[in-house]
Amino acid sequence: MTSDTDIGIRAAQEFLGTDLLKDRINAGPYDEQYVRIEETEFESAVTHLAANKFVLISLFCCEGFTANAAQTLFYVFERRTSILVLVRGVNGQATSVADLYPAASWFERECRDGFGVEFAGAFDTRRLFLHETYPEGFHPLKKSFKNAPVVTKKTVDPAGEYPFREVSGEGVYQVPVGPVHAGIIEPGHFRFSVIGESIFNLEVRMFYKHRGIEKLAEGKTPQECVRIAEAVSGDESVANATAFCMAIEKISRVPVPERAWYLRTILMELERLCSHLGDQAGMLVDVAYPLGASQFSVLREECFRENDRLTGSRFLRGMVSPGGLNRDIPKAQLDELAAFVHQMRNRYKVGLKIVLSTASVIDRFATTGVIRPALLRPLNITGPAARASGGKVDVRVNHPYGIYDKFAPRVPRLRDGDVLSRFTIKASEVMDSLDLIERLIAAMPEGAVRSDAPVRDGYTLAMVESARGQNLCWVWIKGGVIERYKVRTASFCNWLAIEHAVQGNIVPDFPVINKSLNLSYAGTDL
Amino acid sequence: MVNALTCLLKKNVTEEAPARDEEVEAIGREIRTVIDAVFGRSLAIRELDTGSDNATEIEINNLNNPFYDVERFGISFVASPRHADLLLVTGAVTHNMEIAAKKTYDAMPSPKFVVAVGDDACTGGIFAGTYAVLGGADKIFPVDLKIPGNPPTPAQILSGLLALMKKARKE
Repeated sequence: MTSDTDIGIRAAQEFLGTDLLKDRINAGPYDEQYVRIEETEFESAVTHLAANKFVLISLFCCEGFTANAAQTLFYVFERRTSILVLVRGVNGQATSVADLYPAASWFERECRDGFGVEFAGAFDTRRLFLHETYPEGFHPLKKSFKNAPVVTKKTVDPAGEYPFREVSGEGVYQVPVGPVHAGIIEPGHFRFSVIGESIFNLEVRMFYKHRGIEKLAEGKTPQECVRIAEAVSGDESVANATAFCMAIEKISRVPVPERAWYLRTILMELERLCSHLGDQAGMLVDVAYPLGASQFSVLREECFRENDRLTGSRFLRGMVSPGGLNRDIPKAQLDELAAFVHQMRNRYKVGLKIVLSTASVIDRFATTGVIRPALLRPLNITGPAARASGGKVDVRVNHPYGIYDKFAPRVPRLRDGDVLSRFTIKASEVMDSLDLIERLIAAMPEGAVRSDAPVRDGYTLAMVESARGQNLCWVWIKGGVIERYKVRTASFCNWLAIEHAVQGNIVPDFPVINKSLNLSYAGTDL
Repeated sequence: MVNALTCLLKKNVTEEAPARDEEVEAIGREIRTVIDAVFGRSLAIRELDTGSDNATEIEINNLNNPFYDVERFGISFVASPRHADLLLVTGAVTHNMEIAAKKTYDAMPSPKFVVAVGDDACTGGIFAGTYAVLGGADKIFPVDLKIPGNPPTPAQILSGLLALMKKARKE
């Protein structure tokens, strides 16, 4: 065990004492350390972790986990390669940690909507994923609620409307945008408070697409649930399915064949390619540079077609399954992929050169939508958005899964945190993904692509690095079926970054800032 | 820096067009003919996401990339429902989107068409019968055509649109 993976345990020893910790700690299959914590110790523990630079990467609730408590809250902390989970049993009441960890605000509101847990001292107690039309006192994730249609209000009177934060002052006016936007985009509401042309404040309201993913998963077999994991966010199908399958494999101790991991990694990198190419094209559309945008959208379409040839799905769906893959990809097709990647790289470079030598593009990208490095930790911003602001975070490196320990990507970093940095980071990651796919094809081992093993009961955390950043899931299997499937995609946390990134920018730059962060609405709303 | 003058003097400034899809071209030509005849040469589409997993949005967006470039067939995606002839709905209808979706539909001038794209919009898909969704798009407004798929490809969406327009022509 390296000293880095020890950090969590050492911190727990410091706030609990070595003797107490012994009976309270157990290690999960993902090397995460669960520490049961009493109500009296909780506050000092969290303060201690906050002082020691632990990041709160997730907070979720679950029923029936602790014997003498109605609900159990899991506070997942990360520092470098170490993951510490505080397990806190509560009975409908808890204290808020949102003052110490701003990211907790959405997490706590999510727990409140789902399970009815009230957080004392929270600075924001508005409902989150249950909008105005849902009845009061409705908490869908409670076990007592059986998943069935509910009766909702058909109209909302003005008094019952969602109260946005009010910003007032001389010359401040509001620009409400959405949920239906003026393009082919997912729904969400943006409330701008603007002075002249500059954005003074932005409040994001999400969860219009709340489809009840987590409840839907309950009672399903792992095999059935893969389809649900793929539906979390279409352009992260492989990432979320892989995270889910990894969890199942960890719990059931299924050895995944090496070839399956090589192929999975190729699929994950292809997904990253499609995502980054789409972002780059979108960013260029938003600064009115269609010549550059076409370069990337052509490559992206070719990528989709290559996906289709390889797997029969343009979104690489239906491939990943617990224990490996549903189908092998024959050698001839992999050779074809290698040739595709080779010519793709050359054409990508041409496109990039055109874009980066265009002054009007650089002028719009540079200094626009800055995310300050100081925000990364409190909000748990991850992925290219973090790496463009100096963050050294990448699940593939911090918590290598599959074969990423053998094929560790370099973690390119820039410090400016503006749209140009995010564009450049993504460009560098596109090149890295292309290289990685080539290396994987060259080193591809022979053998089976799936091993079957009976499903066992248990629980674990699992994380992958999707195109957008750190995607986390927590799976609890009981009686061979899913008891709880918690998903937290990178977008859920990264959305809060945009509220800060747009401040002081002009409203017309909002689309390009939004595109540069490429946030998934579906992956957030669940 | 790319010098504008060298671009002018150089031969073949434009790139070679990407490989043509004969299937798409054929559907496109037919769409062009019907749109000319029935819709006065242009069909304005408003896209509405009522709860999709965003894969369908991506495919609809792809209709505008240089491979499909549907504007040349007379199809344009418009920003406001008030400018739209056709509503392209994706995803099961969530409770949180119900009011906004109805408002979007009501804002469209008549006559109007609604097309549901993807399994979730057609029937509610895997979300049918759960607490968070009402079901397919037909639960809140009349749907003229359903294009199933998880998600349907751009070519499938195009041939769906063609089928609808042929139907409209007969009527």
